[in-house]
Amino acid sequence: MNFLVLIGKYFFLMKTVFSKPVKRKIFWKRVLEEIDGIGINSIWIVSIVSVFMGAVLALQVATNFESPFIPKYLIGFSTRETMILEFSSTVVCLILSGKVGSNIASEIGTMRITEQIDALEIMGVNSANYLILPKIIASVITFPILTILSIMLGIFGGYMVSFFTGIVAIPDYIYGIQVFFVPYNVLYSIIKMIFYAIIITSISSFFGYYTQGGALEVGKSSTNAVVASIILILIFNLLLTQLLLL
Amino acid sequence: MIEIKSVYKTFADKIVLNNVSTVFEPGKVTMVIGRSGSGKTILLKSTIGLSSVDNGEILYNNRDFFKSNIKIQRKIREEMGMVFQGGALFTSATVQENVIFPLDLFTDWTKAEKLKRVNFCLNRVNIEDANNLYPGELSGGMQKRVAIARAIVLNPKYLFCDEPNSGLDPQTSIVIDKLIKELTLEYNMTTIVNTHDMNSVMGISDKIYFLYEGQIEWEGVSDDIFNSENQNLNDFVFASEFFRKAHSSGTINGRMVKQ
Repeated sequence: MNFLVLIGKYFFLMKTVFSKPVKRKIFWKRVLEEIDGIGINSIWIVSIVSVFMGAVLALQVATNFESPFIPKYLIGFSTRETMILEFSSTVVCLILSGKVGSNIASEIGTMRITEQIDALEIMGVNSANYLILPKIIASVITFPILTILSIMLGIFGGYMVSFFTGIVAIPDYIYGIQVFFVPYNVLYSIIKMIFYAIIITSISSFFGYYTQGGALEVGKSSTNAVVASIILILIFNLLLTQLLLL
Repeated sequence: MIEIKSVYKTFADKIVLNNVSTVFEPGKVTMVIGRSGSGKTILLKSTIGLSSVDNGEILYNNRDFFKSNIKIQRKIREEMGMVFQGGALFTSATVQENVIFPLDLFTDWTKAEKLKRVNFCLNRVNIEDANNLYPGELSGGMQKRVAIARAIVLNPKYLFCDEPNSGLDPQTSIVIDKLIKELTLEYNMTTIVNTHDMNSVMGISDKIYFLYEGQIEWEGVSDDIFNSENQNLNDFVFASEFFRKAHSSGTINGRMVKQ
């Protein structure tokens, strides 16, 4: 029953979120601020994780492909496919749900307990729309860009490890990352990322917006937001893969 | 003018507002006093529409807040200014950004016009050279004054203050009280103040409501408060050692009181 109430509250909040902003100019300024906060500030973590994961993927594939009948270019191919199909969308989003999601929940939760949201409402501002919609739009814009960045850096990580360790000849690796390329897979990854962007920002905002109590409850909201986002990302990963790839 | 008609509100099975009816008049500072848990905050929150009521009407110049559509509710709210207990300033924004915020949203003024109004309001509350400071860099009293400046920047018709002196020293409290009184007269605002502070009540109130267990048990003016026969009010007022002594000596703030 509580679960149904929670879902009802979520959709009720979303109905309030997706309404006309008070002033378009202020709204787009807020979107730009959120692009900076959510997207630009996440570049470093996505870059570091992607480069290392790409490098590790190449190494692991290389150690498992010892048979002379398996062509070496498959190291590049596997690295590329893993980055595109799963890592740069789902795994990156699981990481972002921790960074961005907890940040959003604690920011909005703190605003709630310090009456800043009440202050917005008293001024006649639709607080849900003002605070949450720019975050959703900013994440929908920036997360796909982060995916592309992650794919490129992951493949670059594999290249670097090939270059420095010699596990595969560079021409083989380059051939591997070009062969059997299916552009649709990149689109699939981007579509998944858009769904995850909406999940992370709206779920985290929801938990933050309905925080009650003090600092301890803000922490709990933040944790709940991350846990709920991760579970939903995994469920949607399965559903979207079924729908888009099979 | 704000009219509250037969308002009921319950939480679970507990009645928190029980048939509350009253009128808040423009140009006057109305103070709502009562013990913690008496229903003051929920009355204020219901009046400004942050909390719904189970029954009854809240009329802003004959516009029923809860029966109005969202557009009218937002319009009414644009006419409100609110000073929260903790100030509720936007912590990631500077003083200037906090005060200019309502102007950005609800006016089409030029930047120069907005800045002029912001500086006027900040000067009015005696805040100078603090435009670029963040709320965290201000004292409690200054934060409250910035909150007042933000509340009045759009020339509101209604000003609500939830325990504006909480956490402030007595001298700063007097400054805040004076400011609220002066601004109420200046802008002919309908001002409602929730407070525990009897000094404020004696100092600036034009009308007082005493709330006890969700009901208005007593209403009157500061001159009458010490002569009331209401036991609950007397228990509340004379809980303070100062007021007990002053009452027994016969004068408070130079006013004669019943022995």
